[in-house]
Amino acid sequence: MNPKMIEWLYGELPGLVATGVLDEASAAGLRAHYGPLAPRRSGRLAVLIFGILGAVLIGAGVILLLAHNWDDLTRPARAVLSFLPLLLAQGLAFWVLARRPASGAWREGVSAFLFLAIGASISLVAQTYNISGDLPAFLLTWSLLGLPLVYLLDAVVPGLFYLWAITEWTCHVRWTDGYAAGYWLLLAGLVPYAAVLLRAGRYQPRPVVLLWAGCISVAVAAGTTTERVLPGLWIVLYAGLFALMFLAGEFWFGEGEGFWVRPLRHIGAGGVLVLAFLLTFEWPWHEVGWHYHRWALVADKPWRLLPDAVLGGLAPLAAIVLLATTWRRKRPLGLVMGLAPVTAVLGYALASGTHAGMAAGLFDLYLLAAGLWLLATGLRISSRSQTNIGLLAVSALIAARFFDTDLDFLLRGLLFIALGVAFLVTNLILIRRKGAAHV
Amino acid sequence: MYKKPLLLLGLAAASLAQLAVPGWMIVRREITLREGELFKFSTAPVDPADAFRGRYVWLRLEPDRVTVPGGAAWPDNRRAYAVLAADANGFAKVIRLDPTLPSDAPAIPVRVLWSDSRTGEVHIRWPLDRFYMEEKKAPAAEAAYRSRSRRDNRDCHVTVRVHDGNAVLENLFIDGQPIRDYLNVTGKSY
Repeated sequence: MNPKMIEWLYGELPGLVATGVLDEASAAGLRAHYGPLAPRRSGRLAVLIFGILGAVLIGAGVILLLAHNWDDLTRPARAVLSFLPLLLAQGLAFWVLARRPASGAWREGVSAFLFLAIGASISLVAQTYNISGDLPAFLLTWSLLGLPLVYLLDAVVPGLFYLWAITEWTCHVRWTDGYAAGYWLLLAGLVPYAAVLLRAGRYQPRPVVLLWAGCISVAVAAGTTTERVLPGLWIVLYAGLFALMFLAGEFWFGEGEGFWVRPLRHIGAGGVLVLAFLLTFEWPWHEVGWHYHRWALVADKPWRLLPDAVLGGLAPLAAIVLLATTWRRKRPLGLVMGLAPVTAVLGYALASGTHAGMAAGLFDLYLLAAGLWLLATGLRISSRSQTNIGLLAVSALIAARFFDTDLDFLLRGLLFIALGVAFLVTNLILIRRKGAAHV
Repeated sequence: MYKKPLLLLGLAAASLAQLAVPGWMIVRREITLREGELFKFSTAPVDPADAFRGRYVWLRLEPDRVTVPGGAAWPDNRRAYAVLAADANGFAKVIRLDPTLPSDAPAIPVRVLWSDSRTGEVHIRWPLDRFYMEEKKAPAAEAAYRSRSRRDNRDCHVTVRVHDGNAVLENLFIDGQPIRDYLNVTGKSY
C-alpha cells in the first residue's frame, strides 16, 4: 500500500477510536498489519538533490577559478595547481567512505565532484602545456577513470556522467568517420551496477534515473555505432529497438505506478510512434536496401559490420520473440507496439524492391491502426493520456497527408478546426465521465 | 555491497590512476621542453574560443601542405609522422612523412587530411593549434596575432620543442618578441 495512505490512516485512527467507530484492539490490529511508518522520503530526497547540486556547483567554481590561467604563476606551479581539485575531491571521497558510508547525499555529491575534478585536472594540464583538443581521447580517458566511482561509492550520479561521456564520445568518433562500436563495451561496464540496483528495487528513484539515462544513451548510440554500409538499416534497427524497449518495459516493469518509473515503456512507445510517423513520408525510403549497399566502405575490414549485424538483426528479432509471448499473455497494447518491427521489415523489403511509396503507405496504415486503437481503448478505460496520444497520432497522420497534397487553405483550415474540435470533445467526455465516476 | 577495507583499497587504486594520467601528461611535456630540439614554425591566421579551457589564441602552423616523396599515395584521414629539418632561417620544413616514428630524425605526429594526386601535395593538420593565455589577455593577443599574420604582413611565429615523437608549443612571437612582452610594450595593459 502507498505509504502516504498508511500515514493518512494512522492519522485517522485516534479519532475513529475516540468516536467509537473502531475499538482499541482493531486499531492496534491495523497498526500491526501495516507495520511502522517508513521514514519520510521527501526530506531525504531533497538533501540528496541539494547535496549533488552543491557539490557540482562548488566543483565547477573551483574549475573556473583555475581555468583563469594565471599568467603570474610559473609553469610548474600551474601544473601542480591542476591537481588541486582532484586531490580535494579524492580526500573527500576517502572521508565519506571511511566516515559517512551510509549517507547517500554525501556519496552522490562527492562522487559527482570527483568525476568532474578528473576532467578538470586533465583539461588544466592541457591548458598549461598548450595541448590541443583531441576530444574523443579526452572523453574516453575521463569516463574510464570515473567509472570505478560508481562501484566504489555506490553512486548513480557518476554513472549518469559516465553515460553522457561515452555517448558524446560515440558521436565524436562517428563524426570523424571512426569506429564507435567500443561504446557497447563501455556500456557493459555499467551493467553490473545497474543490475544490482534494479534487483534491489526496480521502481526506486536511483535505478529509475539510471534507466532513463541508459535508454536515451542506447537510443543515440544505436545509430552512431553502426556503419553506413546498408542504407536504411536504421529503419529496421530503430523499429526493433523501440519495440523491444516497450515490450521489455511491459514485461518486467509492468507494476510501476506513474509515468516516471517506467522509462523503458515510455521511451519505447514514444520512439515507435515518432518513428512510425516519420516513416509515413516517402523520403526515408528512397535509395535504401541491398541495391544501394556501400560494401566498399568496409571491404578491407569486414569485422566493422559486426554491430550492424547484431543490432540490425537481433533487435527486431528479439522484439518479435517478445511479441510472440505478448500474444500468449494477451496484452493488446504490446501487440500494437510490437508490430512496428514486423511492419518495418516488410516496408524495408518493399522499398528494397524500389516500392518506396508502398512502404510509406504501409506505415500510413500502421500509424492509423495504432492511433485508432489507442484512441478507442483509451476511451474505453477512461485514460485521458492514452486517448490523447491516439488522437495525436491520427491527427498528425491526417495533417501530414493533407500537407502532401495541394489542397487550398479553406479545406486545410476546416480540417484543422475539425481536429481541434475532436480533441476538445473527447477530453470533455472523459473529464465528465471521470467526474460522474467520482460522484 | 562490499567490505569497507576493500572499498578503501579500490578507491586508493582508482585515485592513483586518476592522478597518474595528468601526472604523466606533465612529465612527458616537461621532458620534451627540457631535452627537445627547438624548431620555429611560421603561422597563418584563424580564430574561435573554447569555453571549457579558458581562453587561448587559435593558431595555424605552416606548412599545412607539403610536397614529400610518395605524397600522392597517402590515404585520407591517416596518422603520420612529419619528419622535420630546419631551413636557413631556422624555420621547420617537412622532409618526408613516415607511418611510424623514425629513429634517425625529429618528427611530430600529424594527421594527413587528404593528398592531391594532381600536384602530389599532402594536406596535413598539426597537433598544435592553441596557445593559452590569461583570460583577459587572450583576446588582445589574438587581435595582435591576427593583425600581424595577414598574408601581406607576416611576422608571427611559434617555437616548438620536439623530442621522441612529442611536440610542445613553447611560445608565440609577434614582431620577434614573445607575445606577453609584445602586449606590454605596445601599451595594451589588460
